[in-house]
Amino acid sequence: MKKLTNILFFIILIISFIFLFNNSGGPRIFINLMTFAGIYGLAAIGINVHFGWTGLLNFGHAAFMGIGAYTTVLLIPHTLGREGDVITTGLPLSLAIICGLLASALLGLLLGLPTLRLRGDYLAIVTIAAAEIFRLLVRDFEDLTGGVYGIILFSDALQDHRPEIITEFSRTNGIPAAQVWVGMLTLLSILIVLTILSRLKRSPWGRALRAVREDEDAVRALGKNAVWLKLQSFMLGAAIGGLSGIFLVFNYGTVQASTFVPVLTFYVWAALILGGVGSLSGPVLGAVIFWVIIAGTDSITRIIFESPDGQQLAGVRFVIVGLLIMLFMIFRPSGILGKKEELLLDVK
Amino acid sequence: MIEQLGNGLLLGVIIALGSVALSLLYGVTRIVNFAHGEIIAFGAIMALFFSSSPESSLLYFDRFNPLGINFLTSIILSTILCGIFGGLLELVLFRPLRKNNFGNIAVLVVTIGLSIFLRHVYLLFASAKPSSFPLELQRRVDYYGVQLTPRNLQVLIVGFVVMVLVGLFLSYTKTGKAMRAVRDSTELANVSGINSDFIILVTWIFSSMLAGFTGVIQGVINNVRWNMGFLILLLIFAGTVLGGIGTSFGAMFGGFVIGILVQLSVGLEFMDGHTEAKNAIALALMIIILLVRPQGIFGKKERVS
Repeated sequence: MKKLTNILFFIILIISFIFLFNNSGGPRIFINLMTFAGIYGLAAIGINVHFGWTGLLNFGHAAFMGIGAYTTVLLIPHTLGREGDVITTGLPLSLAIICGLLASALLGLLLGLPTLRLRGDYLAIVTIAAAEIFRLLVRDFEDLTGGVYGIILFSDALQDHRPEIITEFSRTNGIPAAQVWVGMLTLLSILIVLTILSRLKRSPWGRALRAVREDEDAVRALGKNAVWLKLQSFMLGAAIGGLSGIFLVFNYGTVQASTFVPVLTFYVWAALILGGVGSLSGPVLGAVIFWVIIAGTDSITRIIFESPDGQQLAGVRFVIVGLLIMLFMIFRPSGILGKKEELLLDVK
Repeated sequence: MIEQLGNGLLLGVIIALGSVALSLLYGVTRIVNFAHGEIIAFGAIMALFFSSSPESSLLYFDRFNPLGINFLTSIILSTILCGIFGGLLELVLFRPLRKNNFGNIAVLVVTIGLSIFLRHVYLLFASAKPSSFPLELQRRVDYYGVQLTPRNLQVLIVGFVVMVLVGLFLSYTKTGKAMRAVRDSTELANVSGINSDFIILVTWIFSSMLAGFTGVIQGVINNVRWNMGFLILLLIFAGTVLGGIGTSFGAMFGGFVIGILVQLSVGLEFMDGHTEAKNAIALALMIIILLVRPQGIFGKKERVS
């Protein structure tokens, strides 16, 4: 069974690659794909800390990503809302990003405090509800967030720091320099986050987290504060999610109420499950494969439906996402890189 | 504020019916079914497909012609179809998972995948814009201060009757008693000679039929669209949690409270101009309930951490 799924999987991957690079504008598509893969990979690392390390079901990652992104963007110079109010003052970018990460961690703490005492399935419901509350509030409180009109013209704060060499390189290769810069920073952040996490994972703290996942009562009996450990993990994962949200909006250059919708969370989950729950770099690999599959699906959709509209493109994409989540969870729950023994299949 | 009471009762009956179905399934199988909303949408879409006239311009299915059957027959047909659908899900997907000792969390993730999959299959087969059942428009009438159209009053009464019937079924029939026995303890039920696999299958069919009927009611009151199940699902969760997950009467009660609360909150002063946020209030209430009384109002106290 395992061999069969392996072979099937690689066939799908190869077909997707062929479809992808059959297009004109290869480098441009490649950069776009890798940037998105990096951002989703970073977000998936956040969920992995929750689910893979500690066994917490977080289905509201879009809220953590969103609050980090909104906090950062609102603290730097930007243009807001329907009227386009220009705000020229603001914090330096690095400080704003730190505030954004803190805001994400704080939301993690707020959400975690009441709910981490609950059983896993309750937590899934609560986090999904919290993400929906976040979306509704962002939509409704237009004065603060710009609502559906969103926030624009903030990415200069990041692009001003772009080295000249990237601009030159992009111009000669005909690729968008702004995206190259965001993509590079994303990759750099992934490397830093993974280095920190690999240390944490081997530390006594990381072992305690995995112990919480395996047997919470045993951890309690050994005198550890299981709820506080879960809270710490929740805050850490939320902050990583916030960082990925920041990169996401800088990649788009805009942010609206529709940027951080619940489906974003499911995309990230699909990437995580593909790559391997519990493994360190699995989520990043999963995100790359995920985006290759998505891009391949779009090409296939163009062949099935002669001129697909956005609805059909999105429809086929999500049919695939749903199938991937289901099939991988059933047949290969350890993903591509995950270890079988690191799984929570029999957790009640 | 009181003029919203009619809307609140209507939303309440949708959520209450949906909550009963969800809560029953959870009680017997311990599955938190995120695909519940998609079964609701299936019921509504099928009823629309059966009842719309073949040459109607409001084609939900671009590539097939609707059948144009009488509306009542369509409701019955689509409810039965939902039952078959639920039974198939149990036989093909969830029974094998149970036999392979999949944990609750893994099954939960599978239901999320299933929900995303089904919802977008509907999107591919249908147009994204909402459609209505082929019923004539009606004007609202004042019933003792509650504003409702005559049809919506009928829907409300039918909804109540169905809920009473469900309650009687669970309390007095042999199958209903067996369901409650499996809910309380699968092992003990097995020992007493109850075929728990069969009872779980019956529960899936029953819960899915109820969900499909919920979808039809939601379609009559509002309209039919591909993501209608996902939109109502979180409110159904809120209703279920409020009443006590796993209980039946609690879920009905919780559903009505959530529905009425959501609609009444539209009239509150600080909600002025924030119509979208009304659902946020129900969801926030759910989180607070989980914090203060995780077993819900009618649930039995059990360890939930």
